[in-house]
Amino acid sequence: MKSFERFGSLVLGGLEWIGGVARLVMRVARVGPRRPWGVDDIFHQVVELGVRSLPIAMLITLFIGMILTWQFGWGVEDFGATMALGRVVSVGLVPELVPTMLAITVGVKMAAGMTAELGSMKVTEQIDAVAALGADPYKKLVWPRICASTIALPLLIALGNLIAMFGGMLIAELKFGVPAGYFYETYIDELEPLNYIASPVKGVTFGALVGIIGCYQGFNTKFGTEAVGASTTDTVAATAIVIIIADFYLNNLFF
Amino acid sequence: MTEPIIDFRDVTKRFGDHVVYEHMSLQVFPGETITIIGGSGGGKSVCLKMMIGLLLPDAGQVRFHGTSVPDLDERGLSEVRRKVAYVFQGGALFDSMTVLENIGYALREHTTMDDEAIRARALECLEMVGLHTSVAEQLPASLSGGMKKRVALARSIAIQPEVILYDEPTTGLDPKNIKRIGDMILKLQRELGVTSVVVTHDMPMAHKVSDRIAMLYQRAFPFVGTAEAMWNSTAPEIRDFIHGRIRRAGASGAYTGEDDGLRDEEEGSDGIA
Ligand SMILES: Nc1ncnc2c1ncn2[C@@H]1O[C@H](COP(=O)(O)OP(=O)(O)OP(=O)(O)O)[C@@H](O)[C@H]1O
Ligand SMILES: [Mg+2]
Repeated sequence: MKSFERFGSLVLGGLEWIGGVARLVMRVARVGPRRPWGVDDIFHQVVELGVRSLPIAMLITLFIGMILTWQFGWGVEDFGATMALGRVVSVGLVPELVPTMLAITVGVKMAAGMTAELGSMKVTEQIDAVAALGADPYKKLVWPRICASTIALPLLIALGNLIAMFGGMLIAELKFGVPAGYFYETYIDELEPLNYIASPVKGVTFGALVGIIGCYQGFNTKFGTEAVGASTTDTVAATAIVIIIADFYLNNLFF
Repeated sequence: MTEPIIDFRDVTKRFGDHVVYEHMSLQVFPGETITIIGGSGGGKSVCLKMMIGLLLPDAGQVRFHGTSVPDLDERGLSEVRRKVAYVFQGGALFDSMTVLENIGYALREHTTMDDEAIRARALECLEMVGLHTSVAEQLPASLSGGMKKRVALARSIAIQPEVILYDEPTTGLDPKNIKRIGDMILKLQRELGVTSVVVTHDMPMAHKVSDRIAMLYQRAFPFVGTAEAMWNSTAPEIRDFIHGRIRRAGASGAYTGEDDGLRDEEEGSDGIA
């Protein structure tokens, strides 16, 4: 009985959370797309989120490319099919691994950063102060962040795709003796238009989710500095879960 | 009698099961300075927040110049907030902006002043609160608590509001600056006719600046009147307050604190007792 009640309150809590997130989205959709657009704020956030995440995004995608190629290479070597390496690796990396891995690492980092920043603004009443000074906190604080992560994450993913391919090329050539040029040709050849679409669509979706969850969690931080820590931790878990589910759903849609 | 500028009628406010106000009424009249005193955690900040719609009452009415604040749309609220400035208890300065950008925030939001004019006005306000212009380009994090408080004050007066809500403007300041803030409140009232609502624990300050004092006690304001009337009152809860033995809000008549003033009471309500 006890565990049943706990399960019940967990479900209710989840539904309440989704409701709260939906309310935030509607609020921002109402106040965001109006003049002034807040281009300066958005640009500032893109730099803040995107440029800061460049090194880690590049490092991660380089290794993903190398690791996947190594793994597949080891698998297909037995069949003497190493020449097909480019074809196998590309469909794994471009529409799936690069977008999702980047969202789970860099995207979650962005969301956690937003929650920490907005959460400390919340507990020190800075969000109330924005409102008290006559501005709309959703327009001033949430809108630029959601826009920025929606722009920055797909750009990082585009760059990540190039770097992952480069990583794959490196391993294919050095470890399995597949000429880099040939790897490149087969890699590109295997990609259908759908793959080219899937990657940025996932990027935009994940980017928006990152901004929405990061901001929602920040705005709903309770009292005290401990609460900032707690809501930031929750953001990490929530963002990762939501991204994985969204990824599954998008794959359903595309393939 | 003149129309009240801010009018609470029969207001109830609760957070979950915790009732902060019940059948509370309070009027603030144009041009007066009214001080709200009361125990810590009693709901003084909540009262100020309801005045500008940062918190909404669960029942009853909150009116500003006769219009109901909870019913206002975004534009209406923004208009009220243009006229009513709020000095937050903890300052609530924007960490990511310099002192000068903080002070100019409302001017950028509400006016068409250019950057140069905003800068000039911000520097002027900085001087009014007794801060040296060398802090202008600093970030709030590098300021002392008392300096933050004064920057917050400067930010609120920059746009020349009709009403200023001060949430403990002098707590944590040295005597010289307490006097300066007190003088500033009086000056704004006399020269510009600003209406002020001051939350304070500082009785001498309350005495100095206020036309009337409202005492928050058990979820309402049972006493609102002049300092003299308060001083001469024979009502037990008022005598207790003046002599520093404050009943804790909501506690069943338990006394906390000794005769050494209000400090003890503040600690008492943090759950130490
Ligand atoms: N946003 C909120 N959500 C839930 N409870 C709140 C909220 N704001 C205030 N409270 C509660 O309402 C009560 C009154 O708080 P308030 O901050 O108004 O006290 P106060 O009189 O200003 O005290 P102090 O002198 O310490 O500043 C407290 O018990 C507080 O926990
Ligand atoms: Mg308070």
